[in-house]
Amino acid sequence: MLRAGCQLLGQASVAKTGSNNFALEFVRWRRKPRWLPVAKSKLFRVPERKKQTEEERTELMRLHNQYKTQLRSVRQYLREEVIRYEETSTADHIVLTPEQEEAEFQRCLDENAAWNAAIAKEREIRLAKERDEKVVYVQERLEAKKLRDEERLERANARVLHEIEQSKTFITRENLDAAIETALANPVDHNFAIDMGGNLYYGRNATQFPQETTNEPPQQALSN
Amino acid sequence: MPTYELALVFRQLPRTELISVIKRTAEAILDKGGIIRKLENLGTRALPHKLSEHGVVHRTGTHFTIAFDSAPTQISDLKEEFGRDIDIVRRYVFKVEEPLDHKCTLHEELLPPAYRKDVQELIDIAKRKQKPKYNYNSGLDYYPFQK
Repeated sequence: MLRAGCQLLGQASVAKTGSNNFALEFVRWRRKPRWLPVAKSKLFRVPERKKQTEEERTELMRLHNQYKTQLRSVRQYLREEVIRYEETSTADHIVLTPEQEEAEFQRCLDENAAWNAAIAKEREIRLAKERDEKVVYVQERLEAKKLRDEERLERANARVLHEIEQSKTFITRENLDAAIETALANPVDHNFAIDMGGNLYYGRNATQFPQETTNEPPQQALSN
Repeated sequence: MPTYELALVFRQLPRTELISVIKRTAEAILDKGGIIRKLENLGTRALPHKLSEHGVVHRTGTHFTIAFDSAPTQISDLKEEFGRDIDIVRRYVFKVEEPLDHKCTLHEELLPPAYRKDVQELIDIAKRKQKPKYNYNSGLDYYPFQK
């Protein structure tokens, strides 16, 4: 905390800075920090009020009353002026007879009705258009759904037929023994190697000759 | 019911016992309401490394696969049951996926870069991103923009 000249005339600073009363002085850690509470010894101390003499008090009271009275009178004058002005002037409103007012109101009503009619016509056209579009959209969606459902049913039917066809080869309890015998008698081997010509060499040990399918293109062999 | 494939490695067994193990396994699937589609014997071979299962070390095994349909909720029961069978060394259940329908594009990928479609798209993008440039031989003898 840097305090410049706050205790310039104090004896401490005079003593420290010698003859130069206007020198800067770093007053650090003189006072206790802000966050510390009131000292216990100063807790119940009541500072003494300044004494005012009787003459001083009456003089201050007189000045105060005078100021208040003058201000009140000015304010009252201004307020009355505003009221007077508002009563007499026609600056912010036009004075009309009742007939004129009625005619003006009718004119406004007619204009409003005309606007409403025009907008209603536009709105009807727009709503009709939107309705037609919506009908077309819903129809399209319904047809698409019908098509989708049909395709789905077709796929499901095909799948069911395929499974029914497959079910002839399923292994049941009856033919389980025979199936196990067959499986043990015919070991299968899914390993194969492939060469640049697309020939497949089946088996773990590539001792077999390639099958006689050299005419087929390489990508068919790759897609296996 | 989804289709699964059960890949099994049996320990080295004589033929009769092997048949009984396979039968036991297949009947476990049938008892759980499954359907067996196919049995495949992949042969008896030396294992790739020695396997320790049920306290015994195995060096030779019979590989076998069973393609079956079963409710997904039964799979964990089946696994648990096969896990208790001391003749089964390894058991794995795979879900059979529909084969992917993809086309071979190798002959396109082997083309020189300038002829490849994806490279041409990249070049197009780069061209689109280029800022318009002032042409210096357009008749003006000064540069008309702020430098």
